[in-house]
Amino acid sequence: MVKRYTSLAYKAADDMIFGKSVYPVKAELGLEVGAGYVTAEVNYAPRPEAGVSKEKLVSEYRRLTTDIMARAVQIGFPAVSLETEHVEQMTNNPDWGGEIAHVQKTILEEYHEEYGIKCGLRHTPGDIRENRDLLALIGDKYDVLMESFEAVADAGADFLSIETMGGKEVLDYAILRNDIPGLVYSIGCLGSIDMTMIWEDIRKIADKKGRIAAGDTDCSQANTAMFIAGGLLDKNLAHTIAIIARAISAPRTLAGYEAGAQGPGKDCGYENTIVKAITGCPIAQEGKTSTCAHADVMGNLVMQCCDLWSNESVEYHGEFGGTSVQCWSESLNYDAAMLNVATETGNAKMLRDILVLSDKYRDPQGYVLAYDNAYKVAESIAKDGDDLYLRAKNAAIACCDILNDADSKKLVMSKFEINALNDAKAALDAMTDESETFMSESVEKYKAEVAVFRPDDNYKF
Amino acid sequence: MDIDPSKILVRYNVAKEKAQTPEEMAAELYPTAEPARTICAAIFDGEEDDVIEGLEKAIEGGADPVALIDDVLMVGMKITTDLYDQGVIFLPNVMMSADAMLEGIEYCKEQGGAAPKPKGKVVCHVAEGDVHDIGKSIVAALLRAAGYEVVDLGRDVPVDEVIAAVKKESPMMLTGTALMTTTMYAFKEVNDRLLESGIKIPFQCGGGAVNQDFVTQYELGVYGEEAADAPKMADSIVAGKGLAQLKEQFHKH
Repeated sequence: MVKRYTSLAYKAADDMIFGKSVYPVKAELGLEVGAGYVTAEVNYAPRPEAGVSKEKLVSEYRRLTTDIMARAVQIGFPAVSLETEHVEQMTNNPDWGGEIAHVQKTILEEYHEEYGIKCGLRHTPGDIRENRDLLALIGDKYDVLMESFEAVADAGADFLSIETMGGKEVLDYAILRNDIPGLVYSIGCLGSIDMTMIWEDIRKIADKKGRIAAGDTDCSQANTAMFIAGGLLDKNLAHTIAIIARAISAPRTLAGYEAGAQGPGKDCGYENTIVKAITGCPIAQEGKTSTCAHADVMGNLVMQCCDLWSNESVEYHGEFGGTSVQCWSESLNYDAAMLNVATETGNAKMLRDILVLSDKYRDPQGYVLAYDNAYKVAESIAKDGDDLYLRAKNAAIACCDILNDADSKKLVMSKFEINALNDAKAALDAMTDESETFMSESVEKYKAEVAVFRPDDNYKF
Repeated sequence: MDIDPSKILVRYNVAKEKAQTPEEMAAELYPTAEPARTICAAIFDGEEDDVIEGLEKAIEGGADPVALIDDVLMVGMKITTDLYDQGVIFLPNVMMSADAMLEGIEYCKEQGGAAPKPKGKVVCHVAEGDVHDIGKSIVAALLRAAGYEVVDLGRDVPVDEVIAAVKKESPMMLTGTALMTTTMYAFKEVNDRLLESGIKIPFQCGGGAVNQDFVTQYELGVYGEEAADAPKMADSIVAGKGLAQLKEQFHKH
């Protein structure tokens, strides 16, 4: 039985800052995360043709890792962390991921030994727990996934992460129908149940191998909502609905920490500021320097409390300024240098607030995720921390309340966004306060409406 | 510390928002005669039960169930998709309207024992090795809403299966979606295998890591930047546009 969070790690929102966390973590080659400085976390994807064989993939990662480290020492950066998000071949064949982790760690060790540069390596196996038509969260695929974690931990990956997909089969249905109870159920309940199961096992592997069970992100659900929502003029999802999904994702990502994760949380978890307020664990974030991967509407704001600063992902290829990983790692490192100067000169809170104010009123999503409001969402989660349903519902309601209380002269929402928000709030107000009632009614409702939802096969209720 | 954000950013979505509500705009487009008007409104609202109730009344009043599909259900759906194309309503409205319309079509087919001829047939799939299918689901729904028959092969579809389906179904267009850089590589193989078989249909590719540069590397590929491009591309094919013209129209970068 995991212990749920019922209080916050920070006494006040203003105590939260980039580069510092209550509980820093330390990697093997000198890198500490959340210990007073921000470090770049470089992400990358192999070229499409590299996936055809193990040899080609290993070679691809050897080249790009060397490129990143060479650029780091050429420009004089004191630390760097790398994240390898597996392509499916690397997780389905645990020895592939293991060999790549070994090759990468060996290169990091060589640079650490020669230059003293502090290094970290995160490996993120893919969530392969799916069959052709259905999620398969429990069973043979789960066993292969755990073998993959063992292999990369054995080979030297400091930080173990994953982007789990529990609840996604219902989310994909609910998000396209503005179904707010469906978001609470898929993200807040099903996602948290799956997170609790898998992170207990990842922590066991990390402890056995002397590695760090880092953290998860609700990429498969809240980011799906955010990307469907898109930019200001896109018409695929109201941004007020996207931020409600994001708020609900915070208690879901929190469940990973309750089951054993220690941070740094995954970069694309835009919910991480809320989570950090509760756990005090370090987080990775991405924003203005991840435009190689996607656009968001809060690129500066999301730096506010980061401990690692990431570019999300970039395909490995040539650019005018070097290879893509060199260019983006350089930009990340310059960002980190700026943040660290602010810390060293006593201006960290000033810079944090400048970053926040440059985006806070750009969009409802940034408004709610600004650290002062994120802290309020965190409080609502901890209030009913022991109840997965209630804390998810609380987060959604807190999100609506923050937007409804917003200074309308500063955060100006469209009529469409306001209508969607009002509809969502009405739906939330109509929801029961009884967890058991909600869970039993939801399982029947979505079994009837979502053909691929197989609760008995996938969730340990 | 706080600021007046007006010099920092512009909320263009608010600035460009139309004075009329979507409901008011839709109401101006509904047919005037009943029960078509009520059924179209029910489709716009995504109210499946109201659609069926309206159809029941229409059939009781002597309407031909099969004719109702083209004359009423598709009209109501087109109002919804037109307003979506104009940026007045959002995707979930279209999805809920499509659900209501498809339920109405099934009801009419049951009552009439026949179905009208679709505008064309499209085969949709997610690349082999890739299980991310929400984009494909949106594409399929938008195509169906526009009156096309969709053969949905699902996700993680082996190349052999894609080729076999195209040979069996003879679609006017094939769509492929992928999230990952490594899985989208299967599109090239699909392209090569289609050409080997002498099949030259447009192969619309899009999703996550897919970009125009990649899609232009193979002959049949046409890049679909948005899911909403799928029905537009199908309409262009129906209008007689060939591969080169489709690339000219949809390769925006």
